[in-house]
Amino acid sequence: MLTKFETKSARVKGLSFHPKRPWVLASLHNGVIQLWDYRMCTLIDKFDEHDGPVRGIDFHKQQPLFVSGGDDYKIKVWNYKLRRCLFTLLGHLDYIRTTFFHHEYPWILSASDDQTIRIWNWQSRTCVCVLTGHNHYVMCAQFHPSEDLVVSASLDQTVRVWDISGLRKKNLSPGAVETEVRGISGVDLFGASDAVVKHVLEGHDRGVNWAAFHPSMPLIVSGADDRQVKIWRMNESKAWELDTCRGHYNNVSCAVFHPRQELILSNSEDKSIRVWDMSKRTGVQTFRRDHDRFWVLGAHPNLNLFAAGHDSGMIVFKLERERPAYAVHGNMLYYVKDRFLRQLDFNSSKDTAVMQLRSGSKFPVFSMSYNPAENAVLLCTRATNLENSTYDLYSIPKESDSQNPDAPEGKRSSGLTAVWVARNRFAVLDRMHSLLIKNLKNEIVKKVQVPSCEEIFYAGTGSLLLRDADGVTLFDVQQKRSLATVKIAKVKYVVWSADTSHVALLAKHAIMICNRKLESLCNIHENIRVKSGAWDESGVFIYTTSNHIKYALTSGDHGIIRTLDLPIYVTRVRGNSVYCLDRECRPRVLTIDPTEYRFKLALVNRKYDEVGLIISSHLGSIVLHMVHEKTRFSLALECGNIEVALEAAKALDERSCWERLGEAALLQGHHQVVEMCYQRTKNFDKLTFLYLITGNLAKLRKMMKIAEIRKDMSGHYQAALYLGDVSERVRILKNCGQKSLAYLTAATHGLDEEAEALKETFDPEKETVPEVDPNAQLLQPPPPINPLDTNWPLLTVSKGFFEGAIAAKGKAGQMAADLDMDASGGEGWGDDAELQLDEDGFMDAQEALGDDGIGKEEGGGWEVEEDLDLPPELDMPAGAGGGAEDGFFVPPTKGMSPSQMWCNNSQLPVDHILAGSFETAMRLLHDQVGVVNFGPYKTLFMQTLSRGRTCYLGLPSLPCLRSHPQRNWKDCGAKQGLPAVGLRLSDLISRLQQCYQLTTAGRFEEAVERFRVILLSVPLLVVDNKQEIHSIRLEYIVGLTMETERKKLPKDTLEQQKRLCEMAAYFTHCNLQPVHMVLVLRTALNLFFKLRNFKTAAGFARRLLELGPKPDVAQQTRKILAACEKTLTDAHQLNYDPHNPFDLCAASFVPLYRGRPVEKCPLSGACYCPTYKGQICRVTQVTEIGKDVIGLRVSPLQFR
Amino acid sequence: MAAQQGDVDELFDVKNAYYIGSYQQCINEAQKQPRLFVFSFKPSSPEKETERDMFLYRAYIAQRKYAVVLDDIKANSPPELQAVKMFAEYLSSESKRDAIVADLDKKMAKSVDLNTDAALRTLHQGESLECMAMTIQVLLSLDRVDLARKELKKMQEQDEDATLTQLATAWVNIAVGGEKLQDAYYIFQEMSDKYSSTLLLLNGQAACYMAQNKWEEAEGVLQEALDKDSSHPETLINLIVLTQHLGKAPEVTNRYLSQLKDAHRAHPFLKDYLAKENEFDRLVLQYAPTATA
Repeated sequence: MLTKFETKSARVKGLSFHPKRPWVLASLHNGVIQLWDYRMCTLIDKFDEHDGPVRGIDFHKQQPLFVSGGDDYKIKVWNYKLRRCLFTLLGHLDYIRTTFFHHEYPWILSASDDQTIRIWNWQSRTCVCVLTGHNHYVMCAQFHPSEDLVVSASLDQTVRVWDISGLRKKNLSPGAVETEVRGISGVDLFGASDAVVKHVLEGHDRGVNWAAFHPSMPLIVSGADDRQVKIWRMNESKAWELDTCRGHYNNVSCAVFHPRQELILSNSEDKSIRVWDMSKRTGVQTFRRDHDRFWVLGAHPNLNLFAAGHDSGMIVFKLERERPAYAVHGNMLYYVKDRFLRQLDFNSSKDTAVMQLRSGSKFPVFSMSYNPAENAVLLCTRATNLENSTYDLYSIPKESDSQNPDAPEGKRSSGLTAVWVARNRFAVLDRMHSLLIKNLKNEIVKKVQVPSCEEIFYAGTGSLLLRDADGVTLFDVQQKRSLATVKIAKVKYVVWSADTSHVALLAKHAIMICNRKLESLCNIHENIRVKSGAWDESGVFIYTTSNHIKYALTSGDHGIIRTLDLPIYVTRVRGNSVYCLDRECRPRVLTIDPTEYRFKLALVNRKYDEVGLIISSHLGSIVLHMVHEKTRFSLALECGNIEVALEAAKALDERSCWERLGEAALLQGHHQVVEMCYQRTKNFDKLTFLYLITGNLAKLRKMMKIAEIRKDMSGHYQAALYLGDVSERVRILKNCGQKSLAYLTAATHGLDEEAEALKETFDPEKETVPEVDPNAQLLQPPPPINPLDTNWPLLTVSKGFFEGAIAAKGKAGQMAADLDMDASGGEGWGDDAELQLDEDGFMDAQEALGDDGIGKEEGGGWEVEEDLDLPPELDMPAGAGGGAEDGFFVPPTKGMSPSQMWCNNSQLPVDHILAGSFETAMRLLHDQVGVVNFGPYKTLFMQTLSRGRTCYLGLPSLPCLRSHPQRNWKDCGAKQGLPAVGLRLSDLISRLQQCYQLTTAGRFEEAVERFRVILLSVPLLVVDNKQEIHSIRLEYIVGLTMETERKKLPKDTLEQQKRLCEMAAYFTHCNLQPVHMVLVLRTALNLFFKLRNFKTAAGFARRLLELGPKPDVAQQTRKILAACEKTLTDAHQLNYDPHNPFDLCAASFVPLYRGRPVEKCPLSGACYCPTYKGQICRVTQVTEIGKDVIGLRVSPLQFR
Repeated sequence: MAAQQGDVDELFDVKNAYYIGSYQQCINEAQKQPRLFVFSFKPSSPEKETERDMFLYRAYIAQRKYAVVLDDIKANSPPELQAVKMFAEYLSSESKRDAIVADLDKKMAKSVDLNTDAALRTLHQGESLECMAMTIQVLLSLDRVDLARKELKKMQEQDEDATLTQLATAWVNIAVGGEKLQDAYYIFQEMSDKYSSTLLLLNGQAACYMAQNKWEEAEGVLQEALDKDSSHPETLINLIVLTQHLGKAPEVTNRYLSQLKDAHRAHPFLKDYLAKENEFDRLVLQYAPTATA
């Protein structure tokens, strides 16, 4: 049982909770009614009009009313807003025991010692019904919460249930008002007919003090002087005793049902409150007071709150903690609701039950610690008797069905608190308050001696915060030593910032914010209970009290953000969203306005530009007034605004502030403020000097007087010196016994009279009169020409930081310059070739590289044939290696490195290169695609090799260790590894795009170079499906090489021009992107047109139009086409037949018409005249033309 | 005082900083003046003082400030420090290495760089955690993960939570691969949370990430390492690997390679690299087209 609030007063006889506000009414034996705010713990109002004890008290559910009934036979109806009694109902003839409002009708039910129960209409202020039948005092009478029933308890040992449906019908009938009016006169005569006794419950042996209905079930609970609590059940026709709860050993004063749980609460004159389990009829909890008998109980209609009145006051309490156990990691919130561990994703708001908890504990989970590395949780459960507390260790199932989650077996042990201290370690504070470190198997790894400690909290890896009676200690578990201690009483919760640089320690009414080293940064005191908190991303601590969301900066500035109706538990803060759990464990998101604390944070962090933005966008200068005086002072000094700083300093009135202000003001020449500061700090020396340099002789003289009064001899003398007041100096010297000095001063300055007087005082026998220096010079301060009354002039401030911030804002948006990538074609394309660049349509399946033959015999000969890196030592016989000193130790032989395994596991060339086995890699490439000239492969090989191994550092100064990233790391085991390739088809394709762009720009040679690198990279790919690589287009290389070649050719003779035309025509038969094809066709068209080969030109023109070129190009082409069609002949015979399909020889650039013998490059597939067989392929420059190979192998599937 | 602290290691901070690669902090800790504090850092015995100095000088060595060590350790210093000095001599000049190793063979001390057998044999006699950790490192460089695991088990029996044991666990986990990689990552992560993130820890994390093919994550970690020291050889090597796997342009990779060649000519990676280049050139000669144009 948790006491939330306690009052001290006269005996409390009646209690009522307000249904919405945090208020409780207590009616006292001395005639006073008190209205308390139990959350703020304050007395709101007092109503003192009853004469003698007030026993009945009840809030109205909707109206600002309450009703009371007392021993003065009066029923009073009050308005708490107007703070007065509205009217009094008279009629009862003895003490009134209880008064209740009806939840719906304007009725009041009262029970009295005059043995009657009365129903009153508080609107007409009349008695509408009198229920007679009890033959002793009626101690209690209550309406049923929904039906037309009344239950009453009397000292005649019975509990009666009354049916008041007649009364209701009378009230609801059309002429209700008249009937009622008539009814008033006829109450005494006909009242009995409106309400009839339905059941009489007999069973108590003594007078019954209290009876109450169950909120939803047909049950009644009663408490009586026979010390028993009885439960009754009823139906339409009868009612019977269900069970009896025995345990109180004095009169039971009051008994009520728990509004939401299967519990009954009762209290008694035996000074105890007992909680009973309704189904088991056993006592669950007992709460005892030492001296006070209990008289009354009240249950809050909506919240889990109860109040109990006793001899010297009242308590407001709840039965159990309502704080949900939760833990936050990253974007995930883990919390316990009902018997489930749930997971909430903050980003997606997906809320799932991940696991069912083991049942068995009747206590709710107290706290939780989550371990993200192992996905495990520790759930701590506190028992009433702390020694019986336990914790459970669960590992959360990886996958779960939210509807029906798994219930994994947890590990349970006793212990107060369990907290993770490392990935695989947690600390347990056991009931002997010693600290155990356990591993994931829940086995004790070690015991740690700790300073006395009653609670432990998480404090980052390897550390804990230990709480003792008056402080918190940061403790290093591994080193077993305390690192730091901070004094704060009874910390309840600890909230670390995301980067663990700050920690907030929450106690009941205080918050302390510390840094990582547990140095206190600020202390905040709250009058209301502190509930929870979380750090927002900017380092502001957002916390909740019972009724507020508040913020705290690490500088100590804090304030309210918004109010709350009910307590919440903050789990996370992002921007203006506060994520929280309420008491029903429902995740909620509240929005807050973070302007105020952002502003203050910006001020504290001196981010004035941000301040400016906030001010300009939000609140204006109002915000300045919210700032903490100290912040304001610092800020003002920072800005050099002496006036504001002066104001703040006056408010603060601290010595250090005045000193700082004085310095700052002196720098600015603001000597009036300097003067004030010196005065405030009583800095007389400085003040004196200030008057001297400002030439303020009057004040300087005053300072001299002050010094004299203060008996500050040297200050006095100094002032006299400053003033040039010789006689004063003589006087001072004389007074302090420096006679000879006084004489000298007087004599030197020609004050003969005084010199003489002094001289006479010298005793000629003992003392000698000092010689006066004849060369003495007059020491006299220069008189001020013009005393400085005003401050130094200041330059007007150039530019405020706000203006600066706003000016800076304007600069954005100039970055909008985009590069016009749709540039027209470069020179390479000739005069009239231009095009738009828009290529994404090259993915159409065209041709596959190489052949698709799969699974030819490769033979087993590919095992690694030699260990490349074997150190020579290994050649020695193993046994002989052992030294003499350590006879038995045999150094181990070298193991198999992952890279060796790669060679064994794969026949793909790239795997061998990554493994560093160049020799086998080369052989594979040679056999698969016929590479014979490896020169161009060198950079590719070296690059590939260098990405095969990462490194990490072992012990300092030793060579680093190597790790081998593998592409099948998840399931390869020790032997089946294959290297991570690091070269992806998508990368090649994107590089291909660059090549296309180069092509478009007409930079053919560069493009060819790049195309070639891509082509060479193809055998070093690993793909799942060989089809994927079809899109690498080789014909570009042939075509572009030819085009480059063509450009170099002379065009002088007709033969040469014919050759040019032929090559242009061949180019149109390369497989190119449509954009490029347009360009190629236009070039060919122009050349042929110029050559007057109109027929062929017309063919090009038609092909060009089919590709759908740009309108202007199309128009021009149509014109040429029309011109060609006039004379559809060719002027010259060329070696070009567009209708006969042909391949192009990549070496000689002549057409190889179908059917004629041809040799191909095994890698690029380029065709050659048979004469070129055995030579290096012109396209790849690495492969041999016409070589007999097994084909490209780039996928492990090809070996299946 | 020693009795009060029980088994608290007064050199903990110094050693710890050294092992996780936070060398400057190690030096700072070791040079701290004695404080009037319960946990002050005045070594309780001359042995401890020597031990402290050993770590101090080794930290200097790790920072490649060999001269400090060579100048500071005099001929009359304790024998432990002489060994440290010898190590500094060994690392500082490549030309003298053979001679030093020969000298060492006579005196019987440890060296790991070239002769793994001798190293293991020597380490076999030691029982300290550091000896075992070094053994593990040698075994891993020999690709004997099985033996390394055995040795690790011994370490764990001695003190499972010690920094060295944790680090060694991480090394072995990286070598084992698979699911253990994540464990290794967490160990490095935990260390950097607990103490401070160092190049050693960051590169360890990067290695874990890359072994799990988490290239983007590795980039973040390596970037952080690069910010700490832009010419740290292991960071550069890892970046060479990473940039290729991220599909960056070959020029980016080459830039890191050139940087490495510039600053760390003697690094084993580059020695390997050059050897491989030569091997490539040799192998190229074995192939030729059957006909020439």
